[in-house]
Amino acid sequence: MNPLAVLLTLSSVLFALGLFAVLTRRNTILVLVGIELMLNAANLNFIGFWRYGPPDPQLTGPMFVLFGIAIAAAEAAVGLAIILMVFRHTRSTDLNASNSLHG
Amino acid sequence: MTALLILSPLIMLAALGAVWKARPVHAGLLLALTLSLAGMLYIALGAEFLGLVQFMVYVGAVAVLIVFALLITRPRDEIEEIARRPKSVGPGLLCTLPLLATLLYTVDRTLPEAPPGTADLPVRRIGELLFTTHAPAVLAVAILLTAVMLGAALFAREPSKKP
Repeated sequence: MNPLAVLLTLSSVLFALGLFAVLTRRNTILVLVGIELMLNAANLNFIGFWRYGPPDPQLTGPMFVLFGIAIAAAEAAVGLAIILMVFRHTRSTDLNASNSLHG
Repeated sequence: MTALLILSPLIMLAALGAVWKARPVHAGLLLALTLSLAGMLYIALGAEFLGLVQFMVYVGAVAVLIVFALLITRPRDEIEEIARRPKSVGPGLLCTLPLLATLLYTVDRTLPEAPPGTADLPVRRIGELLFTTHAPAVLAVAILLTAVMLGAALFAREPSKKP
């Protein structure tokens, strides 16, 4: 069995699970969990193509993963700050409760 | 290859748990497990540095997520989440399954044979590349992280009492 195929299958499943969480969950924290899963699936792809693809002295795949991890950390920080602000406003983490832009 | 075959089902199971658990703390813990296992997979594939970065940065960020989940959820949220499930699972699957089928079909059909041999990831080379070829990107990420830190602090600040 091709190891790259196993890795890409794993990352496809992780991405689909993340998307499922984003679409079906109504708790903001659980939506954030889905987004993290999707980001991690993309990173897994980069690692797979770097490891099992043609040799690359520029290490493009791992570099993408490093930057991707930095972006994911930034995304989690901003996401949590927004969740906290919305919670302070609506006293709920339910996405259906935050249906107005009115301050 | 052995590590890949052992870790892949474990990662999928942990991710499934993270997606299915109704209690946010449990979902957060399972997400931390998923990301730790992915870090182990990176190490097994030869990207030791990235595996350690994954552990420290990603799992650390998720730990903060879990703390927030503990802070701002109430028991009622969990009951509402379970009550809403029968209505949301169908449309969710309807959107997700075609995507998954397309991805798996593409993986199956278009993949070339993997060339043999091992790839190694020397940390010295990463450092050299980061501060030569990718220096503008590093600067951009530095600015982004500073902006994020200031923005998050501004967002999370208690609103002042004065108008």
